[in-house]
Amino acid sequence: MSFRIPIGPYHPALEEPYKLELVCDGETVRDAVMNVGFNFRGIEYLAERRNYLQGITLVERVCGICSNVHSLSYCQAVEQLIGAEPPERALYIRVILAELERLHSHLLWSGVAAKLIGFKTIFMACFTLRERVMDTLSAISGNRVNYGMNCIGGVNRDIADPQAVLNILDELEREIAHTILPIFLHDRSVEARCKGVGILTTEQAQAMGAVGPLARASGIGQDIRKSAPYCAYDRLEFNVPVETTCDVRARLVVHSLEMVESCRILRQALRALPAGPICAKMPSVGRLKVPAGTAISRAEAPRGEVLYQITSDGTDIPSRVRVRTPTFMNMATVRYAVIGQELADSPLIQASCDPCYSCTDR
Amino acid sequence: MNTAPENFVQTLQELGLGGGWEWKNGSWWKTPEAMDVRASAGQMIALKARFVTITSMEQPDKEIRLDYQWDLQGQLLSFTTATAKQRIPTIADLTPAADWVERETREYLGIEFTGRESTEPLMTRAGDPIGINLHKEVVK
Repeated sequence: MSFRIPIGPYHPALEEPYKLELVCDGETVRDAVMNVGFNFRGIEYLAERRNYLQGITLVERVCGICSNVHSLSYCQAVEQLIGAEPPERALYIRVILAELERLHSHLLWSGVAAKLIGFKTIFMACFTLRERVMDTLSAISGNRVNYGMNCIGGVNRDIADPQAVLNILDELEREIAHTILPIFLHDRSVEARCKGVGILTTEQAQAMGAVGPLARASGIGQDIRKSAPYCAYDRLEFNVPVETTCDVRARLVVHSLEMVESCRILRQALRALPAGPICAKMPSVGRLKVPAGTAISRAEAPRGEVLYQITSDGTDIPSRVRVRTPTFMNMATVRYAVIGQELADSPLIQASCDPCYSCTDR
Repeated sequence: MNTAPENFVQTLQELGLGGGWEWKNGSWWKTPEAMDVRASAGQMIALKARFVTITSMEQPDKEIRLDYQWDLQGQLLSFTTATAKQRIPTIADLTPAADWVERETREYLGIEFTGRESTEPLMTRAGDPIGINLHKEVVK
């Protein structure tokens, strides 16, 4: 006899709402129906009724974890429309912010994954490290969540003391290498808990348009930082970790190795931070003229590709702002990953997709 | 700023995607005179392109412009077409990645994707009005 188990939309341990209905045959999941939209705020609607400068503040609030990548993508699209070229120093600062954001997002995910695996010591270790990253972001930007760093033509604040960030990076790199990597890459209990669980095949990931670490853990080696470089990524050396076992363990491995690569990018960017201005000369507020046209900006958020398409009709308010977030594509894959799995594994499988419902619902 | 890779137009032609491609502001664009969205989707799937999204926007003639976006070898391709009487065939049966996108596009701009078994709301709830993002501020 099969029965349906409704989970959500409100969860005691997760701030973001979504609903999953699992159709089970005994302890085995036979199908799943995902319901989203509980956090729908009409961001696209709102962005088409605000001017370009107000839009930056608005889109940074699409997500509370990867807020920076939204304002970055928005600004990059507007810069294409008006033909603005941010100075080199601004491009490097944008990379530094983007990689610190990736680090704190991946540490958040690693902590949640560790807790669901049943390894609460690592949960605490991940969240302690994440605090260090957020302190660093706060020291640079003055904010812990919405950094307000990106502006059209560059960034709002400079990094006055790159050496101080490098010193913190030494500590972060050491802790990630000595505490997190050995557990996620080599611990036999973690391997036993995650190996073969929640498989999303390469074909399924491709068909669902999966992006980011989820796709890379399913054998799809795509990363916008490499395939369509933006900011200063084409001047920096880094690897894109790809795993082919397509299970929860592959997602652990990819996230872990990406943290190592983020540290590597940060070290290069901080050392090579060029001198000069942090923003191109731009018209003052209210005088920004955006010619008619359409521009698209893509960036690699912690969860994968973000796309902003902005269309201007020549006024100071965009006529269309399209926001395509990574979890919007990734979340529907949960259905494929849970089918045939144990009911008790479904929370770990859902979390392994690194969902963000604020991004999904917008 | 993201720039166009050299010789990609040649790659597109070699892959059978024809001419008429223009690189502009972050994407390769093609605006066929009469686009068969299903044939186009089938061609992209055969080339192992990744479906990215559909971006829709209102036009002065009250039809909706649709940009179908695919990632092919790391490059973004945008095929532009428009609805006819605010209807267009679905591609969700060809690529399941389009399912959620079509559902939210219907909610936002009131487009009907023909050929779907059902188009349940995604962001709104059953019974809510559709076309909630239309600029004319008139909800169907």
